[in-house]
Amino acid sequence: MDEFLSGAPVDGNPAAASRDTMGRIQKVFVDSLRASAGERDLPYEQKLDEADSVDSIAVLEFMAAVEKEFGMAIESEFLDFDFLRDLPRLASYLEERMGRRPGSQT
Amino acid sequence: MTVNDLLWFLYLYPLRMLSVVGRRGLIYGIGRLAEPFVQFRARERRNLVMRRMLAAQCAGITQDQALKISRQFIANSNFRMLDDLVLSSPSFQRMLRCEGVQGIEHLERAKSAGKGVIVLTAHFCACRIAKRHLATIGYPMLSVRDPRPPGDWWGRLGRRILEPRYIELLQAVIGEAVYVHDRGFTLKIVQRLRSGGLVNIHFDGQSGARAVQWPLLGVPRWFSTGIFDIIRLSGCAVLPMLCLGRSTAFRIVFGPMLDMVQVSERDEFVRANLPSFVQTIEQQIRDNPGEWEQWTSF
Repeated sequence: MDEFLSGAPVDGNPAAASRDTMGRIQKVFVDSLRASAGERDLPYEQKLDEADSVDSIAVLEFMAAVEKEFGMAIESEFLDFDFLRDLPRLASYLEERMGRRPGSQT
Repeated sequence: MTVNDLLWFLYLYPLRMLSVVGRRGLIYGIGRLAEPFVQFRARERRNLVMRRMLAAQCAGITQDQALKISRQFIANSNFRMLDDLVLSSPSFQRMLRCEGVQGIEHLERAKSAGKGVIVLTAHFCACRIAKRHLATIGYPMLSVRDPRPPGDWWGRLGRRILEPRYIELLQAVIGEAVYVHDRGFTLKIVQRLRSGGLVNIHFDGQSGARAVQWPLLGVPRWFSTGIFDIIRLSGCAVLPMLCLGRSTAFRIVFGPMLDMVQVSERDEFVRANLPSFVQTIEQQIRDNPGEWEQWTSF
């Protein structure tokens, strides 16, 4: 049964996240954090940590950029740094939310 | 052990124990008896406050007024600390005497938009008791705080033993708070706003990686611009709040919502809205100079 219809919580299944969605998130991440994060070639998680330690508003801007890119507001219970930091889980969550939209193909 | 450490020890142990058993009258009595001593101990601080008041020409404070207000400032700081003890008591609710909450209709209107409300305040002595009181009548508020105690008061022993105890007291007194050094603390603020809740920000605080200088009472001061990013990205309402008095008699005044100039570009948004924020707290300080706690960092 569709999780949305069943009322079950949607918290993302990391295994199901597609490379395409993760790639989109990473592109948004690079674009939105350009001014805040250093140029060093770090993995996504470390770069987000670095950006947060330098300027926590950068994380908020990243969240807003993800919402704009995927055309949805992240539900308030998922507005959590560790959730944003977990790329496969975030990607899976966004995919599931997109799948729940009326008229979208799952 | 320094004299300061000894005073902190008395405050954090015997006096705090009295507060636990709910003896506000006794605590306040000790506070009144100790006031001449406190004024004497704080004479340098009082002189500093006087100098700062006179330097702030826009505050319109004369020499005679500055002398009187600076004494009041020290007395208020003293009683604010006693109020912290009152708030740490399990039975604090029955010890708070609120004389009234004005402008609650502004708060209701701001909440009804459904995007949360930033409650804008300056550092006034009664803010903590006001917030705890508001929480008990159905308006819980998330406080945004800097975790560092606002002073370097301790000797070596005090720093090791008393400072952690004081931080623990503050955390118990303040209630629900998010700390500016927490990971992703801005997300926690937006989370609260999106669920339609209230977030209190002391606009005259000086935390944050991004800041802009603007005159307050005619003196240049740095203001954190993070609040404007949060407002711009969340679309929340902004409501000024003024809290005056002590736990024995205090009042809370909400002003009308601030009209935000909507501009999508970040720096432009700050430039467009900063003056009205500063003007709001400036007026509160002008009207109640003895209750503003930031004269020493001014």
